[in-house]
Amino acid sequence: MQLNTQFMWETFLHVLQGIPVTLIIVLVTLLFSVPFGFSMAVSRSGEGKIGRKIITAYVSLIRGTPVVLQILFLYSLLPTVLNYLIKEMMGLPYNVFRISPIFYACAVFTLNTTAVLSEVFRSALSTVNRGQMEAALSIGMTAAQAYFRIIIPQALVAALPNMCNATVGLLKSTSLAFMMTVKDVTAIARIDASFGYDYLEAYLVIFAVYIVLCSAVQGAFYLTEHMAAAYKKPVAS
Amino acid sequence: MLQVKNVRKAFGDNQVLRGVDMEVRKGDIVVILGPSGSGKTTFLRCLNFLEQADSGTMDFDEVHTELKSASKAVISKVRKKTAFVFQNYNLFQNKTALQNVMEGLTVARKVPKLEALVKAKAALDKVGLSERYDYYPSQLSGGQQQRVGIARAIAVNPDVLLFDEPTSALDPELIGEVLAVMKKLAKEGATMIIVTHEMSFAQEAASKVIFMDGGVIVEQGSAKQIFTSPREERTIQFLRRVLRDYDYVI
Repeated sequence: MQLNTQFMWETFLHVLQGIPVTLIIVLVTLLFSVPFGFSMAVSRSGEGKIGRKIITAYVSLIRGTPVVLQILFLYSLLPTVLNYLIKEMMGLPYNVFRISPIFYACAVFTLNTTAVLSEVFRSALSTVNRGQMEAALSIGMTAAQAYFRIIIPQALVAALPNMCNATVGLLKSTSLAFMMTVKDVTAIARIDASFGYDYLEAYLVIFAVYIVLCSAVQGAFYLTEHMAAAYKKPVAS
Repeated sequence: MLQVKNVRKAFGDNQVLRGVDMEVRKGDIVVILGPSGSGKTTFLRCLNFLEQADSGTMDFDEVHTELKSASKAVISKVRKKTAFVFQNYNLFQNKTALQNVMEGLTVARKVPKLEALVKAKAALDKVGLSERYDYYPSQLSGGQQQRVGIARAIAVNPDVLLFDEPTSALDPELIGEVLAVMKKLAKEGATMIIVTHEMSFAQEAASKVIFMDGGVIVEQGSAKQIFTSPREERTIQFLRRVLRDYDYVI
């Protein structure tokens, strides 16, 4: 058996064009999921009982179903619903079926990652001991001031390792976006491969691409962690 | 200056405080003694609304309030007149010693930053930590951390300082440095309410000793009176036990 190296090189160059799409999906998803997930985690530790139940149900629903199924389901559901809303309810002459599939990909992954991150942040918040909140209150700070100045900064640092896991997981799941006709790294490789049936070569190429991308993400988180956690480092005194 | 009456508090079925009264005058050093579970820490926390009492009233200078139904404004007022030193220090881990002390000034009291810096440094100097302004809590020993805790409390210039077992989490050799700071504050005329197991400190520094057991005040009086001629049987038993422990020679 011989690998078609010429094809691999061409595919590699071609696949590079898909990286921005993959990264855009990751970044847009994080842009929404981080604040959503965080506020869910905070309100889950708060007092509202109904809100807490809704969030718990949402998290169990997302975590209890495969990403593939979420993609298939939402990709069937969302366009139809949007079409109904825009055309029937608002009467706007806009064709929702022309919306870029990247939009749907971001929507699905945001729903998914928000649930994952809300759990990450919930455990991170609980690592900051209750005593610091009491100390802040005891010197006259409000609960909100204590949250923003004391609790949340520490929780974010504590959350970084698991956020890294979630981001790497997200980056890998974006490979499923081809199911929504998004032309990301995986989709380009599959299309190229289908012409000459060179699937093995194409997959080897994107193996490498994903390894590099994921390593870069991990490296970035590693650096951030070291900079943000300066207060944990002991110094010789 | 500070008077509380009939403070009651239950956690579920467990009645922790069964009607506690206390009066504190300016400059008093009140030491609260008692076995574990006697409610002394809970009582102290009720004074600062870290626990909400089930009933009882508070008169604190011009403030008069029911403990159970105190409004947010009243709670905030009382918290600004008091400061709390915790058993586990509870320093802000993401802030340096100096920032820990400044936080209550700049954020809670809106003191201008430069003025706060001067006050915070003065507070840290007073507890003997002039060399440790920029250290994070994780870089300090337990005794140093607790002294930062005390500096954080005195920096806001409170009318009453509340100490909840400030030396209980410390190694024996570090207890001395914290007690020395507390004695210094006492000499300077600070008003303090202290829950502690340090009997020698109580004997030496207290202007008033309260012995609590089972959620009530069993006996109170001057340090001399409580330690040399206690009247109640439970006080006698308690003192015999702790003073004997205290005399252990290994």
